[in-house]
Amino acid sequence: MTGPESKKASSPGVMNWFRSAYRFSTDRNDFRRNLLVNLGLFVAGVWVARNLSDFDLMSPQPVA
Amino acid sequence: MKSCIFTGDVTYKDPCRLRLCQSLLRNLYSGKWVELVRHHVSFDFFYGGIQFNFRQHRPLKITTMGGVLAASSPNPPPPVTSGAAPAPGLTVPPGFGMPPVSPVIPSTGADPGQQQEARTHLPNPGAFDECHRKCKEVFPIQMEGVRLTVNKGLSNHFQVNHTLMLSTMDDSSYRFGTTYVGSKQMGPAEFFPVMVGDMDNSGSLNAQIIHQISSRIRSKFAFQTQQQKFVNWQGDAEFRGEDFTATVTFGNPDVLVGSGIIVSHYLQSITPSLALGGELVYHRRPGEEGAVMSLVGKYTGSNYIATLTMGSAGAHASYYHKANDQLQVGVEYEASARMQDTSVSFGYLLDVPKANLQFKGSIDSNWVVGANLEKKLLPLPLSLVLCSFLNHRKNKFQCGFSVTIG
Repeated sequence: MTGPESKKASSPGVMNWFRSAYRFSTDRNDFRRNLLVNLGLFVAGVWVARNLSDFDLMSPQPVA
Repeated sequence: MKSCIFTGDVTYKDPCRLRLCQSLLRNLYSGKWVELVRHHVSFDFFYGGIQFNFRQHRPLKITTMGGVLAASSPNPPPPVTSGAAPAPGLTVPPGFGMPPVSPVIPSTGADPGQQQEARTHLPNPGAFDECHRKCKEVFPIQMEGVRLTVNKGLSNHFQVNHTLMLSTMDDSSYRFGTTYVGSKQMGPAEFFPVMVGDMDNSGSLNAQIIHQISSRIRSKFAFQTQQQKFVNWQGDAEFRGEDFTATVTFGNPDVLVGSGIIVSHYLQSITPSLALGGELVYHRRPGEEGAVMSLVGKYTGSNYIATLTMGSAGAHASYYHKANDQLQVGVEYEASARMQDTSVSFGYLLDVPKANLQFKGSIDSNWVVGANLEKKLLPLPLSLVLCSFLNHRKNKFQCGFSVTIG
C-alpha cells in the first residue's frame, strides 16, 4: 500500500515543480527568466543562421 | 547633463568617387537624431557610446556597456587589410575584413625556421570598436520622416552636402556639411587628413578631424556644439601593432574643473582567428570618480564572426554569418545588469547588386520589427531609402523616406 501513497506524495511535488517552472517561464518581470529565455533565443538564432541560411537567391527558378 | 563619448575609425576609399556615410548620432541634449547622410565620399564611421545612452538603431535601448556602435553604411567600402589575400576558394565579401590565416606549410622541403615564422605570425585584430561592427551593419537603421540629401563634389578633395529633414515627431531641420580629404596617401585608397563637419539651422556643429600621424598611429579629434556651446570634445590616438591594437581616448577633458573621461582599449591576436582584449573607462568629476572595465573576445571563422563583450555592466554577444554573396545574417544578444534588461535581435541583409538593391530586416525580443530598403536608381545619381519600424508591444509605427542626389 505504500506504492500508491508514495506516488501520490511525489506527484504533488512534481506538480509543484511544474507550477513553479511555468510561473518562472511566464514571468516577464523576472530578470533571470528574461536572461535565460533570451539566451536560448540567441542560441536558436545562431543555429538558424548557421544551418538554414544557405539558400541561393540568384539560382534559376525551376521550370514547371 | 549627460555627455557622450564617441570612439570611431574612418577608412576612406577611392578619392575619385566620393561617397560618405555619416553614422547616425543621437543628440542627447535635444533628443534629435542627427542624420544618416549620404555624401560623395566613401566612409565608415564607427561611434562607440561609452557608458552612455547610445544605440544607433534601437533608441529605446539604454546600455552602459563600453560601446561598439557601427556606422550604417549600406555599402561599406572594403577596409584595407594589412594581411594577406584570402585563401583560395574563400569568398571575401566587400567590407568583410578577414584576418590572414597562415597557410599550411608542406612537410617536405620547407625550412623549419620559416615554418616557425609562418606559424607565429599573427594578424592585426583590427580596432576594438569594430568587434561588433559586422553584425551591426546587418540591422536596419530606424529612420523617421522625409529626408532629402544633395551631394556636390567640388573637387577630388572637397565636397559639400545639403540635407533637409522633415519630421512629424521632431523639428524639421536643414544641415550643411562639408568634407575635406587631404593628399597624404597612406594606403592604396587612403588619404589623410580627413575633415568632416556639418552644421544645422540652429547653429549646432559636429566636426571630426582624422589624421594618420605615422604608418601605425592614427589620431582623431571630434567636437560637438549645441548652438554656441561646446558640449562634446574628445581626442583619441590609435596604435596598430603587428598583432595588437591599442587606443586611448580623452573625452571632455576639463583641467579647470578637474573632470574628464579616459577610455583605453587593447585588442590582441591570440591565434589567427581568436582575438582577446579589454576596455577600461575611467571617469572623474569633482566629488566623484570611477572606473568600468570590460573584456572582449572575437573569433573569426571562414564565413562567420562571433564576438562577446562582458563587463560589470552587462554582456553583449553578437554572431555574424555570411551565408552567400546575397545573404548575411546577424544575431545579437544584450544583457544590462544595471537596467535589469535583456534583449535578442535577429537581422538579415539581402544584397542584390544586379538590381542595385539592398534590403535589411530585423526582429527582436521586444516585438519590434523593422525593415530598410535601399535602391539605387541608376543611371540617375539617385538613391532611395524606405524604412519602417513597428513596435507590436507598444502599438507604435514609424516610417521614413529618404532621397539622396549625387
